Amino acid sequence: MTLQILLAISAILFAFGLAATLSRSNAIMILIGIELMLGAANLNFVAFWRFSENPSDLAGILFAIFSIAVAAAEAAVGLAIIILVHRRIKSVEADDASNLKG
Amino acid sequence: MICDFLKTCCADPMKFLGDWFVLLPTIVLLLAAAASVVMRNLIHAALCLTLSFIALGIVFIALGAEFVGFVQLLVYVGAVAMVIVFAILLTRPDQLSKSGSAFSGLGPAGGAAVGFVALVALLGFIFTSPLAKKPLPAPVSAPVADIGQALMGDYVVALIAIGVLLTAALVGAAVIAMEDKQP
Repeated sequence: MTLQILLAISAILFAFGLAATLSRSNAIMILIGIELMLGAANLNFVAFWRFSENPSDLAGILFAIFSIAVAAAEAAVGLAIIILVHRRIKSVEADDASNLKG
Repeated sequence: MICDFLKTCCADPMKFLGDWFVLLPTIVLLLAAAASVVMRNLIHAALCLTLSFIALGIVFIALGAEFVGFVQLLVYVGAVAMVIVFAILLTRPDQLSKSGSAFSGLGPAGGAAVGFVALVALLGFIFTSPLAKKPLPAPVSAPVADIGQALMGDYVVALIAIGVLLTAALVGAAVIAMEDKQP
């Protein structure tokens, strides 16, 4: 078990999220991809804390907690926007929401 | 013989399972994340995402960050996954998509290609870095009392900023999603 394995797992998770964000057409799937990328970042924070010289310094843990809180706020606002867009144009496809004055 | 096997396993699961205590949930995590990315059905994708969140929380707990693991389970599995499922149900499309495809933008090949290039670049850095070759230090733990002390001490400004951000975001989300009263 080395730091490399955890970082590689986190990189794979990030790549999944990136691929989903760039290729899926549904706005909710784009949000799911963003959540996967944030999860990969959290895994990095915790892995670096676990392998640090000084584990009593809790910076890695606290960054992960703050990042989870930001991700929760982002998910709430993102899904509210998706629901509003669906009410306006009856679609959640990212390509259909092409008009700024909707 | 099986009795001895079970006895050693129960007496010290960390030692017996060793790295697998961390590696097994990461395998579940990656499989569930891959499934949620490729699923066409949104509900299935959201449920696979929930499974990957659970696995990620177990990885955190296995790494010794119990508090982050339980926060992950509470916030992601309890709140974010449920909100995503609600959003899917509220925005049920009448027809799948106007183009009939689940993909847009770069398309499946383009998305996979960009993801693969990013993965190769990241893995290149990870496997050439001397920092990353460190072996696992002795088991550590982050007591919740210490986390609370740090949040109320050095990180109190960040904690207040997060509180303001969460309040603003949730009020903003409610305002955005509210019904328009005027025609």
